[in-house]
This record gives sequence, structure tokens and C-alpha cells, in this order.
Amino acid sequence: MEKSDPSAQLPLPSLPDRNGAQVIALPRTAPAPQSRTQPASSRKRFALWYALYFPQLETLAEKPRQEALQQLAGQAQNISATVSYHDCALVAEIRSSLKYFGGLQAIHESLQAPLQQCLAELQLSSEYGYAATPTVTGSLLLARAGHNSAVYRPDNLRSALGHLPYEVLHLHREQNRRLYNMGVRQLKDLWRLPMEGLRKRFGSELVSLLNKALGKAPEPTRNYLPPPAFHTSYDLPYGVENLDRLLPVADEMLAQLNDFLRRRDLVTDLLQFKLLHENREATVVRLGLRQASRSREHLLLLLQTHFASLTVPAPVSGLQLNVLQFDAHAPDSETLPGQQANHTNSNLDLFMEQLHARLGVQPVRTLDTVAEHCPEYACQLNEYDAQAEREQQLPHAQAVSDRPRPVWLLPKPQLLTLRNNRLYYRKAITLLSGPERIETRWWSGEDVQRDYYVAREASGSRLWVFRERGGERNWYLHGLFA
Amino acid sequence: MFNVPVSAPRALGTLADAPLNSAASNPLTSGLTADQQPGQTSIDQLLQGNPALWRGCDLAGHGDHGQSTGFAELDDILPGRGWPRNGLMEVVAPHWGSGELQLLLPLMRSVIARGQWLLWVSPPYLLYAPALVQAGIDIRQVLVVDLETTCRDALWTLEKALQTRNCGLVLAWQNWLPGKVLRRLQLAATAGDTLGVLFKHHDSKHSPSPLRLQIKDSSPEDRPCSESEVTLIKARGNFSARSARLPLPLSPFCAHSSANAISA
Repeated sequence: MEKSDPSAQLPLPSLPDRNGAQVIALPRTAPAPQSRTQPASSRKRFALWYALYFPQLETLAEKPRQEALQQLAGQAQNISATVSYHDCALVAEIRSSLKYFGGLQAIHESLQAPLQQCLAELQLSSEYGYAATPTVTGSLLLARAGHNSAVYRPDNLRSALGHLPYEVLHLHREQNRRLYNMGVRQLKDLWRLPMEGLRKRFGSELVSLLNKALGKAPEPTRNYLPPPAFHTSYDLPYGVENLDRLLPVADEMLAQLNDFLRRRDLVTDLLQFKLLHENREATVVRLGLRQASRSREHLLLLLQTHFASLTVPAPVSGLQLNVLQFDAHAPDSETLPGQQANHTNSNLDLFMEQLHARLGVQPVRTLDTVAEHCPEYACQLNEYDAQAEREQQLPHAQAVSDRPRPVWLLPKPQLLTLRNNRLYYRKAITLLSGPERIETRWWSGEDVQRDYYVAREASGSRLWVFRERGGERNWYLHGLFA
Repeated sequence: MFNVPVSAPRALGTLADAPLNSAASNPLTSGLTADQQPGQTSIDQLLQGNPALWRGCDLAGHGDHGQSTGFAELDDILPGRGWPRNGLMEVVAPHWGSGELQLLLPLMRSVIARGQWLLWVSPPYLLYAPALVQAGIDIRQVLVVDLETTCRDALWTLEKALQTRNCGLVLAWQNWLPGKVLRRLQLAATAGDTLGVLFKHHDSKHSPSPLRLQIKDSSPEDRPCSESEVTLIKARGNFSARSARLPLPLSPFCAHSSANAISA
């Protein structure tokens, strides 16, 4: 390698000589000596990454896999402060805890029992692969290969990883085939190939993976953070029966909660108040929010609504507040002048929350139509909650029939009386139009064969009546045109 | 000061807690500064566009502060030429099914078009979605609160719904409510800028609702397209009871097929 002379001058740009101004060349500082043979990490104490690979998670779906990893990460946190998530694997930094635990073997043994217990709770098989090397990717590759070994120095990585089959890279099937056809069987075959050519043929991802495994490239990781938890309680000096008098205390607790959430930039959409009684089971009040919030006033208003319809079996001697669900805070975007403000929706959410708190979920419904010939099955009442879960843009409901349908439907068809060839409901009925024949549901046992007519009662009500085509051939009232 | 050309001799404006100065002065002065004379239209607009301004001998059918009912005959007898923007309204129908909902269909459509919700509080029967779809109402914004329980819950729901600006129209079926409750609902509706409609069988005198009307079927027998008579019992800004006859067809389809005789 040619060492440049520190005092050598840069080639001067060919400037036109103006006013005799001189370009003064500053002496160039010597470049830091960079040697390729020694990685920079060898000068400081390099990290040691302990990888745990759980092959049984591969079969799980995305969500349970994340949850399982989260639980396992909680166990791995006992051996290291830095635990990061990877594909079906966890990687913990253990160099800093080697001395405390007394060696890698001790760490492994202390972790084995809780991990296996955790896996058993998840009803998964208890074996897992592990390895420790100075790079995250190197540890992962070794653990995936099931070698269960440790490499302490970065210099030894190349030879340790070299014997692994190329399948541990978890490449695409087509890429695997091409590697095989190129004669690559192990990772050391790859290292013999020129990196530029590999980049061209297999993309930069493979090259960066290999570089990371050898510690030539930085490895950013997503680290595990323990889930937030909030719990507070307050003991009242005497039993309180009037729930309204609990509100100032609850307000104080909610203020604490608000403080906690604001510091962590979180919001909550499910929390629980426990009203403690002497020698009795506590009364639980759950506050579910349609849109996660941390507003003290909002939560207090909801609690007040809950209290209004709540009766306690005994005086309340204490109050507990738990947060059951956290969410990340997503502030509303500001609106430009002239744009419709978005706060209208949050108004509706507040209203719906109050309705649910007071009346329960059951009575608040939305409507939907069903493509069904039988009139009583063509309308569907859904709970409002279920609708909110779905996408905001629902398809527009389709008209079920092009014949007139009444706004009011009787829950059960009502039998009409027939006297002297005239129909009577409360008063005499005249048929206006019809019939509309509906024959359906013969497959379900209740054979629907009806002729529907639009009719008018002498009092002025407009009715929807039908006559059975089978059986007694009775007349029934089924709906009202309002 | 201004020579106000009005077609009929009228008393000068009577103020009913109307901010006349703030509302009226600006357009007037701006009208003066422009080179044109203070025109008849601008003053008429000022007088008629303000629902809070009540003129002593003003007859219903003037002004334009209401939202159109969709029926020209009904617009003519309502003050402000349409339904009030907010507040409480009572519809008296001797029987359900007299066309009382059909009267409100254009209003429901415009409420939905505004992006607001339509709330039905404890309706007397099952609300049948296919009929609403046929009437051109987007049922994604229809909410039914079906209460078998106490009247108290229904009133609480009514009040909360009227206070919420997202609900454009709240329909409720309550046969008898004391005046105190009605006044409270009226206040809630004004606060939330929502129109609440109470359906009842019998009219109660001295009700504080600003608008009460009665609907009665008046069509001759055996006519497929019925006609209803709407009587204005009380309307703020109106003295005498007035009525209008509206054709309320059942649906666009019922005119096709004529009546068949019963052969029992």
C-alpha cells in the first residue's frame, strides 16, 4: 500500500490568476492509518452476542409468533439488558454479563430452565438452538445451523462460519438453486467468490448479510422493551356509599395516569377501576375507549357515566386503577383553513362510548341488508362495535327488491280477521296493489309461500299484508308503510 | 332612514333576543359604500334569513332560514320555508303508518348527505333496512338504539344525542312527556344544533316544542297513491293553524299495479 506523504500538496485547481491573489495550500493532515486485516472492534472489547433460535416458531402465524417471542424475550432479559428480536430468534448481548454469571456455560444453564418452561406454557416443543459470536448475524447463522457453539474472537468467525451449509442463509428458493448450481455448498465457498459479482447476481441483501456475519458492516437491531404497566391505588379513610364522592379521588388518580402516559408518549383504550369493599369482592368498572386517549376529562366523564348506572353492594373502602391496554400516541393532524375539521368523529366516539357505558353494547345497533327473498331475513341489525372493527368504507347496501317494502316490520306476522269477505286489522282493510309472490326457504323446513299486498286501513295506515298460499290460507299483517 | 320598499304594509321588526346590530349593520354599511343603492333584496335577505328575528305580522311561508322539506306545499305553510335547523319538533299521527316518516324522507337524505348520523331511539317496530335503501338513505349512517327498558334511559339517550353535533336528526317515539323534559330536550337540541323529532299519537296542549304538526291520511278510499293532510298546530312565528295537503306516494312502484279485488 502506498503511503502518501503528509506534507504533499493537493493538486491545485487551475484558477485564473486574478489580482495576483494567491492560493495557499494548507498542509494536508495525515490520514488515520487504516488496516484491513484488523477490524476496528479488536481494539476495544468487542461484544458477544448470544443467539437463541426457536425452530418451532416457524410454523406459527405472524401474530402468535410475535407474542411468543415477546414472552421469551422477557425471560432472556434476565441475562442481558439488550435483547433484540429477529426472525424466530432472539439475540442478547452477554459480554457485559459474562463475569457476573461466571462464564457462558453458566449463562446458558441459568436460561435453559425458564425458557423451557415458557415454551411448555406456549405448548411448543422445548428444544432450541443457541450460539454466541461477536456478531449478531454470525450468532444467528450458527444457531440456525444447530451448532450450539461459541466463538469468542472475531478473527475466528470466518473459519467457524465457513463450514455451515448455505441453507442457513434462509435465501429464496430460486437463489438457493442458483447457489447450488454454482457449486456453492458451504459458506466458505461464498467467501471465495468476488463480492461485486455476488452483488450483481444475488442482490445487495446477500452481500450485506455476509458482511454483517463477519463484522464488516454495522448491525442495527430492534431491541426489546418491557411493556409499560400502570397501577395505582388509594385507600379511603372511611367507607363511601355515594359514588359521586369518589370522583375527586378518581380524578386525582387519572391525573397520575395522564402524567405517566404523557411521559411515555402513550395512550390507553382499556382501563379498570376496582372499588374495594370490606370483606367483599371488589366491584370492577371497566372503561373501554373507542379511540385511545389519555385525556383526564374524557376518562372522568366516562367514569361518571358508569357510576350513574352502578350500585355498590357495600361502602367503598378503596380505589384501584389498572391500565389493561396501552397504545402509541398518534396526535391528530392539524387541519388547514377551509378544510373540514376532523374533530367531528371524536365527538361521535365520545357519544358512542357514553351510550355503551350507560346502556351496554347490546341495544346500540347499525342496520344492514341481506340478499334474501324472505322479508324477515333481509334485514340485519349489527352491533356498532363490529362495524367499527371493519374498514371505514363499507360497500353501499344493495336494494333487496324493487317492490315496495315497509319501513316498519312487525317482529312476528299478526293474524288478520276475515269477516264478510272483508279484512280487518283494527278497522277494515282495502287492498291497494299486489300480489307479490314470495316462495322461498323450502330447504330449511319453514316453507315460505306468501302473496304480499299493499293495503290501506280505513283509519289511514298503510299496511303490508300477506296471505299464505298453503295451509289455512290465512291473512297476516307483516309491516307498516310509515 | 332607508326607504325600505316592501310589498305589504308591515310592522317594524320586533326583536326577540336577536343580535340585530351585529348581524344587520355590516352588510348594510357595505351596501352603502358600494355605489349601488341599498337594494330591496339585501334587506329582505337580512330580515328573512335570520331565524332569531321575528316580525309581528310575519306569516309563515316567508323567510328562508329553514331547510326545505322537499314538499312545496309544506314549505309554504312553515315559517322559514322549511324545517327548523335545530330544536324539537312533534309529529302527531293517530296511527303509525300515516305517512309520518315519509314526510321526513327528504330531510333524512339531506342529513345523511351532510355526513351526519341518523339516530332512531326505541322505534315502535323493527326498522326495516331494505325500505330505507329503497328510499335512498345510506344506512351506513343509521343508528338504532333499541330500548326495552325504562323511559329514563331513552330520555338520557335522547338528550345526549341531541347534544352531539354528529347526529343530524334524532327520531324518538314517546307518547307523553312532561313539559319540563321537553324544555330540557329543546335546550339540548339547540346546544347541539340538532333537530329532534318526537312522534306521538295524541297532541298535548301547552307543549313547549317550537313546532308541532299533525299528519292525517286524507286520501279517498281505493286510491293507490295516498294523500295526507298536514296541519300545523303550532309553529314559532305563526299565529293561526294552517294545513296543507301533500301527495305521499307509498313508493314509486306502487302506482304500477292497480288494486286487485279480494277473492277469499
